[in-house]
Amino acid sequence: MRSSRGNRILEYLVVFVIAVSLNFFLPRLMPGNPLALLAGVDVGLMTPEEKAKVKEEAGLDRPLWEQYIDYWNDLLHGDFGYSYKQKAPITKMIGDRLPWTLLITGSSLIISAIFGVIFGAISAWNRAKPVDIGLLWTMILMGSMPTFWLGMMLISIVSVDLQLLPSFGAMTPAFFGTFWESVADVASHTILPVITLSVWSIPGVYLTMRYTMLSVLGADFIRTARSKGLSEKTVLFRHVVRNSLAPVVTVLAIRLGFAFGGTVVVETVFSYPGLGRLIFESVSGRDYPVLQATFLVITVAVLVSNILADMLYPLLDPRAKAN
Amino acid sequence: MNPLLSVNNLTTSFNLDDGDLYAVNGIDITLHQGEILAIVGESGSGKSVSLLSVMGLIPMPPGRIEEGEVLFEGKDLLKMSYREMCRIRGNEIAMIFQDPMTSLNPVMRIGDQIGEALMLHLNMTKTRARKRAVELLELVGIPDADRRTRDYPHQFSGGMRQRVMIAMALSCEPKIIIADEPTTALDVTIQTQIINLVKRLQSELGMSVVWISHDLGIVASIADRVAVMYAGKIVEKGTVDDIFYHPRHPYTLGLLKSIPRLDSDESGQLEEIPGHAHVCFDQPSHCSFANRCEFKTERCFQEIPILYETDIGRTRSACFHWSRLSENENV
Repeated sequence: MRSSRGNRILEYLVVFVIAVSLNFFLPRLMPGNPLALLAGVDVGLMTPEEKAKVKEEAGLDRPLWEQYIDYWNDLLHGDFGYSYKQKAPITKMIGDRLPWTLLITGSSLIISAIFGVIFGAISAWNRAKPVDIGLLWTMILMGSMPTFWLGMMLISIVSVDLQLLPSFGAMTPAFFGTFWESVADVASHTILPVITLSVWSIPGVYLTMRYTMLSVLGADFIRTARSKGLSEKTVLFRHVVRNSLAPVVTVLAIRLGFAFGGTVVVETVFSYPGLGRLIFESVSGRDYPVLQATFLVITVAVLVSNILADMLYPLLDPRAKAN
Repeated sequence: MNPLLSVNNLTTSFNLDDGDLYAVNGIDITLHQGEILAIVGESGSGKSVSLLSVMGLIPMPPGRIEEGEVLFEGKDLLKMSYREMCRIRGNEIAMIFQDPMTSLNPVMRIGDQIGEALMLHLNMTKTRARKRAVELLELVGIPDADRRTRDYPHQFSGGMRQRVMIAMALSCEPKIIIADEPTTALDVTIQTQIINLVKRLQSELGMSVVWISHDLGIVASIADRVAVMYAGKIVEKGTVDDIFYHPRHPYTLGLLKSIPRLDSDESGQLEEIPGHAHVCFDQPSHCSFANRCEFKTERCFQEIPILYETDIGRTRSACFHWSRLSENENV
């Protein structure tokens, strides 16, 4: 049992090493001058001295294996390199963006977990009744709304027409006020992006919960529970819901990983200074080092949340401990 | 003496896409204090559905109890409120199910699953319930009971899980235990252990047992009385010896003849009842067994037989021609 847990961690380590290596080698395998990759299109405007300087700074003049070891060394020290485009260390850029991203993706993850599980449970418990059919249709409608469209509709109605909430950014520029006023300002900027993300995210959790709970409701042990004389409420909370949660928790843990990547579309629509917006800016500016670094952050986050899911699962389903 | 449980004219149907399926068609069952009644029949004959109806555990919809009454100590269970019924289930009448692999909650400790009913019906504290769970596991012969209450179902073998189910059913010392094919999913050696366990507990604790089975060998070894079901009806009932040695219904005779025997005739050919079990959409208008029966006459296709008295003391048979079976026997 313990050895299998150890094997699992080892597997994740191998995946991590492969991901990092790919991240290192892929740009160097791409056609074209690595210098162009680092410095972008500006490379044509640079003097030979400047080119040599950049090459030396990036270590491009040294053998590949030395570069590889340096890359690992920097990485493990939390150094993602330098963005020549933005003239800033990439680690700092990501560090500035990540909290904003986590604020909106984290909030919407919590919201979708709560509403997804509750609505999914209500639906399954009332299978084929009007409540279930109504919820199911609403959720399918919500899930199929494109996020960019919903975001723009919310901006045009709530921000522009009704003037209720700010339409862009994470806080009002040059805002002066007490601490709590600042908190309220930041919060008001998160509402629309969080609604947009949640509308997209709740249906997935809802459908997982509904489906799992329907199959649990038909299980023999539910009949056993009823045969003991337990009330429907006890059967629901003690026997049905607990057995339905494991798959939902897995779905949520994996989403937690992707939450670190932010959401390019939503952050772009709301001009929100998160990681997704950084990815968008880097793509349009061809800032490859930044892109590589953000991808690595996402990879690691997904890996870690997978480990988390693996560790949580046996707590929810003791059968998983045996294998 | 008044019977502990009497089921009168119980009819249960399921509303399916193809029409109403009558799984149970007006059956009468009586169960006395301290006896073991076996209900025998093929798969789909309605034996499980009839007892699930008694417990109020039929999923509704699509299921519906069309008519009948289920008198337990004089009170009709079918007329009881949901709350009153919850006080009966597990407390006065408990059930053991067929598949011990799937009938226990996989994410709940065994001790908690047993203790649940104790805390609900007998108002025990958690500590008391846990202690009682250990005693119950010891009673059903699970070694190292104290430690095992903290285990989960997947840590038990099939036979051990069925013992856990039995401990759970016994927990509140019910007056009736309904065992729905409790040994079908088990190995033959384990089957014998479980049968002996139920017999021992039944005589020690003085409960009544309804044992549902399709296995006549098991029925012969455990039951006092037998009711044979076919297509949602009881076709014959009587004491276990009478039914086995002097069957008065052609279906019972067919079942008995289809038991493989070591001392059977030289050909080694197994006997079978020709045709397939009847599925009743709509209420039948004639004897359901008629088209498979070797004794059938015109009358069998025109009338529904009721349970007739026969030449054997307490045996009742739903066959117009039971006397011909009696004549055959004496040849």
